[in-house]
Formats: sequence, C-alpha cells, structure tokens
Amino acid sequence: MLKKYIKLNMNEMPYPPPIEVINSAKKGLSNLNRYTSQESLEMLKNMLSDYSKAPKEHIILSSGSDLLIREMIHLFSKRRKTIVADPTFFPITQAAKQFASKLLKIRLSEPSFDLPISYLIDELSEQSLVVIDSPNNPTGKILLDRVEDIVETGAYLLIDEAYYEFSGIGFAELVKDHPNLAVTRTMDKAFSLAGARIGYLIAGKTFLNDFSGFDTFLPLPSVYAAIEALKNIDYMKKNVNKIIDERKRVEREAARIGVKVYPSNTNFLLMKTGVLEVARELKKAGVLVFDLSNQLSSEFIRVSIGTKDENNFFLFSLGKLIKTYNQNSFK
Amino acid sequence: MKKIGLIVNPVAGMGGSVGLKGTDGNMYKKALEMNANPITPERTKEFLSYIKNFSDITFFTAPGRMGEDYLREFNISLKVVGSISENVSAEDTKKIAEEMVKKIDLLVFVGGDGTARDIYDAVGLKKPVVAVPSGVKMFSSVFAVNPRAAAEMVDSFIKGTDLKEEEVLDIDEDAFRNNKLSATLYGYLNVPYVKRLLQSGKEASRTDKHTMEDKEGIAKHIIEEMDDEILYLFGPGTTTKAITDKLNLPKTLLGIDAVFKGKIVGKDLNEEGILKLLKKYNKVKIVITPIGGNGFIFGRGNKQFTFDVIRRIGKENIIVVGTEPKLRNLNCLRIDTGSLEVDKTLQGYIKVVTGYREKMMMEVRC
Repeated sequence: MLKKYIKLNMNEMPYPPPIEVINSAKKGLSNLNRYTSQESLEMLKNMLSDYSKAPKEHIILSSGSDLLIREMIHLFSKRRKTIVADPTFFPITQAAKQFASKLLKIRLSEPSFDLPISYLIDELSEQSLVVIDSPNNPTGKILLDRVEDIVETGAYLLIDEAYYEFSGIGFAELVKDHPNLAVTRTMDKAFSLAGARIGYLIAGKTFLNDFSGFDTFLPLPSVYAAIEALKNIDYMKKNVNKIIDERKRVEREAARIGVKVYPSNTNFLLMKTGVLEVARELKKAGVLVFDLSNQLSSEFIRVSIGTKDENNFFLFSLGKLIKTYNQNSFK
Repeated sequence: MKKIGLIVNPVAGMGGSVGLKGTDGNMYKKALEMNANPITPERTKEFLSYIKNFSDITFFTAPGRMGEDYLREFNISLKVVGSISENVSAEDTKKIAEEMVKKIDLLVFVGGDGTARDIYDAVGLKKPVVAVPSGVKMFSSVFAVNPRAAAEMVDSFIKGTDLKEEEVLDIDEDAFRNNKLSATLYGYLNVPYVKRLLQSGKEASRTDKHTMEDKEGIAKHIIEEMDDEILYLFGPGTTTKAITDKLNLPKTLLGIDAVFKGKIVGKDLNEEGILKLLKKYNKVKIVITPIGGNGFIFGRGNKQFTFDVIRRIGKENIIVVGTEPKLRNLNCLRIDTGSLEVDKTLQGYIKVVTGYREKMMMEVRC
C-alpha cells in the first residue's frame, strides 16, 4: 500500500474543479473511442482568445505548457544565444541545455532574486532567444514588468506565465504588437485542471509559421473540461483569492517559526529553513515539498499552498523539525 | 559602553604577493627578504575607519604595531594591554589575548588562519571575536568578508546581535607550499552572527560525475577560445587545472602559472613575476575559479594577483570558470583585493564559464 502524503510539491490547486467541469470531462470519457473534433478545439481556442485578450490565430494548444516551451527552445535556439534565468522552471533549463548552441544563465541572487535587466539587455547585441518565467519558479518573483526593452532589440522573448492568474501581470495582449514576443500559459494551476494538461502558447507572428500544423489532438475529456472551466471564470477567481489569502497566512506563520519566506506572486512560497536536507526530513513526516538542493541549496524548499488543514500540518511538521534541528545544533 | 580589544598581527598576509602562501613561523622573514610589504596597517585602518559607533567603545589594544599605532591615528580613548617583543610572534598574540580577555566584551583581531588559531588557543569561546581578514590563507569561516564588513559586525555587536560558533581551520602551510591543501578543524570561535558579513569556509573540491563532466566541458570551451596572441595566467584550483591537464601542461595546483602558445612560460608566479610578464606580453588574460563555499575570486588563495596586477589587466580580461555544483552553493561571487577602488571596478555581474558553450552570469559583491 502506498503511503499517503500531503502533496505540496507540484503547485497544484488543492480544490477540485466545479461539478460542471467534472461532468463535462465524464462526457468526454464516455466518447473515448473518438478523437477530439476540430470544432471543439476551435471552440477552446476562441474561449482562450477571449480570456487572454489575444487573437485566436495566435493561440497554439498543447498537452501542457512545458511541451510548448521545449518546442519553442528547440525551434528558435539554434544560431542564437539562449538566455534563461537561474533558477527557473526546470524544463526551461533542460531544453536549453539540450538544444541551445550557446547558453547564458543569469543567476538570481538573494535577498531580492531580481533579474538584472540592464545586464540582460547588454547581452542582446547578438541574436538571442530569451526565455523567462514570470513569476519565476521557484522564487515566486515577478521578473519582468515590461517587455519593450527586450523585444525592441530584436531578440526573441518567450515568457512563461504559468502563474499569471495569481500575479495578475501578463503580456499576452502585446503579442499582436510585437511579432517576436510569445507567452505560454496553462490551465493546470488556477483552473484546477492539472490532470487535464491544457497548455497554450500565445505567439507573435515571427513564430507562427514554425508552429503551423503543431496543434495536437488533445484528449477529449481534457478539452471538454477546459471549455466548461472557461465558462466559469468566477469559480477559478474565487479559488485564486482563497489561495492568496492562505499564502499570506502561511507566510506569516512560517516566519513566526523562524523560517525565511520570500514574497510570492504565485500559489507557492520559497522558504529558507536553515535545516539541511529539509525536504527529505519533511517527507519522513508525511509532507511532500519541492527540494531545491539542485537549484539553490538543500536548506531551500518550494512549498505549494494547500488547503488550510494541509498547510497547518506542514507548518506543524516544519516547526517540529526546526526545533529538533536547533536543539541538536546546540548539543 | 562596550569594551573592545584589538590585536593586529603585523606580519600577516605578507607572503601573499610574493607567493609564499603564508607567514606562519619565521616565514615572514623570508617575505621581508623578498621585499614584501606589510598589508595589515592598511587593512586595520580600513576596518577602523568604517566603525560608526566609536563613541560607544572603549578600546583595549595591544601595544605599538600590534594595535595601538593605528588607534592613535583616530584620536580616541584607549588602554594599552601588555608588552610585545621586537620581533613579534604568535606568542605575543596569545599572551596579550589571554591578558585582554578578562577586561573586554569583544575581541577584534587582524590576521589570517594562523592568527585565528592563536586567538582560539588564548580565548576559545570565552569572549566573542570579530576577525578582520588580512592573511594569505583565510579558509576559516570566522572571517568577515572584508574589513568594512568586520566594522559592521562590531556595530551589530554593540547594538546587540546573536552569536554563532564558526570554524577555525588548521592549514598545513608546508603542505600548502607543496601544492596540497590539507585542512583540519582546529576549533570554534564565537562571532556576532550577521550571515551576509561572514565568509563561509572553503568546501572540499568535488569529484562527483556532474562536476567532472562540467570541468571537461569548461576545459574544452576555454581551449577552443584560446588565442595564440594572448598570455594566459591560470589561477589556483582543480577547475583551472582541468584546462591545463587537457593541454598536457603541468599545473601548480595552488599557484599561478602562465601559458603562451600552448607552453608554460611561468611557474608558481608571485606578483613580481606576473608584473614582469605583463611588461613582456601585450595581451594578457587571467583564468580563475571561485573558492567553493565562499565564492572569492580574488583576495583569498590567490593573493599573487594583487590589486595592482588586476588593475593593469582589467575586468574585461578576467575569465572566471566554475562548475555548476560549486556555483549552486554560492549566492554571489566575492572580491577583497585590498583596494576598494579596484574592488568597485569588478563589482556588478560577471560571466562564469560553466561548461562547453555554457555560462552563468553572477553578481560580484565587495
């Protein structure tokens, strides 16, 4: 029997989608012998266009935004310098390492984890592809508050906005004005649809030709669920607000037990605990958090905001761990 | 009013520029023969000039050039403790520290790892200390990142801050001269704990698969970019050695070697040797790697690259190399050349070669 963990390691929404969405997905399940119709895909694109205020013909669908990021880097990093933040969403680094002919990582440093924009712009004198997640994963920091300084140099800019609904800052509307700008988004997080894997790219004209024919036949239950979820934006917004409130509470409580917590614009928090191998220790206590020892150091963790009960159990376990660690340190 | 002790090791750090890798025992005499200049006076003055709360301090100081001389310049109240011999030694440091410890709240010492050991012998955990870095070897984590940070630590102590035990390392200086870094834990000293002001201790060189692959990639990248018109000065460390290994050249692991057109033209160079080469070669680049654990690229472990050498070569000709696993544990790179002016020209962001056609842009702080 598998051990049951509290899952705070994947930045999922802890609340399920509304019943209408589940029923739509079930309708898709009962037609599993069929491919998704072109009409359904077009309907989803239309709705995403309305939602993101970007023209429909600029939207490309995929099973998860990570595949789109990978494809963007695959297609556009050749003969270009690829610039990414460090740390960043892992698939960005992974694809850049695999495909880029030249890779420059820009280290985000404590205490602010700011992206040094002027140094980045200095690097754009040669043809470049810039791939930035904003808000950044795992710091939760908004790295870009404007895009003009980058795109006007002629560099290609891809922004991963997986946490757009939590930050409220996005650039999808600008792709029609800037052909070298592209944005990836997902319905995995705020829309409670991680299991449906609906990701989309909103791409400027420069990129569109290379993506012609890319549209994948997404699974029918996923498409039906996504369409229904987009009919009920208020439900998503209500959940996002609940998560933000809960995030603020967890931030306060964690700080109270002596943890350094960094400001976040997402549904997760970056924490510096002072305890080495903290993720492994929390797992023993039954809580899964994201281990950042390969990106920052082993005293850092990224913690998704769960339900109030889940968060309370996490805080209790972490507090106990810190107390034990401190007692042992002074022995 | 806080009572603060000051002990300066006047010969600490003298071996750095002349490539002696330390002044433990009588080695400082050799440094003098090689025309090495004392560096502690400037470091001590820099430290003192950055203290904000002089009016809250009564200084207890070692006599003459072990402390008193510098404090006199600041025209503040002080009490001289003990006496020193003409040729100051570790015994003077220990004797004065033992005498001082009962009278003070905090002890400031200026020196390197050897001085830290002497202070540990005399003081242990009885009183907190602030360590102003001024040695050749400074691998212990008790040290502040630079004299200005040490001054800020004193101010923090006066305002009230937590204390933390930090490591004092015993570096075998003879082994160090023979290209081996042999460090053992000697003890702990209590320091005012302001993490950003303290340097971390050196971590051991990594030999995991990821690190070895990175080093291979770094070597390939640097060699591909090497230019026959340029003289390369390779700093200490296993990462730079991976490059010379790939070139089939013998490298001084803990020293600086010069390579031109694929051949060694200078071995285990000191400042004088480097300056001679700078006169001979028009284009020169430095290849260095940060110290694992604390991130210093200049000012620790490679003091032969003096601020004069760095100023002449210029930031644009400094190539930093480092493996990703090493950089992961560093929030930033550090410099402490002994010249604030030179340090400021290097601060900002610098690119570190992390693999074949891979670089990481990192912040350099001073």
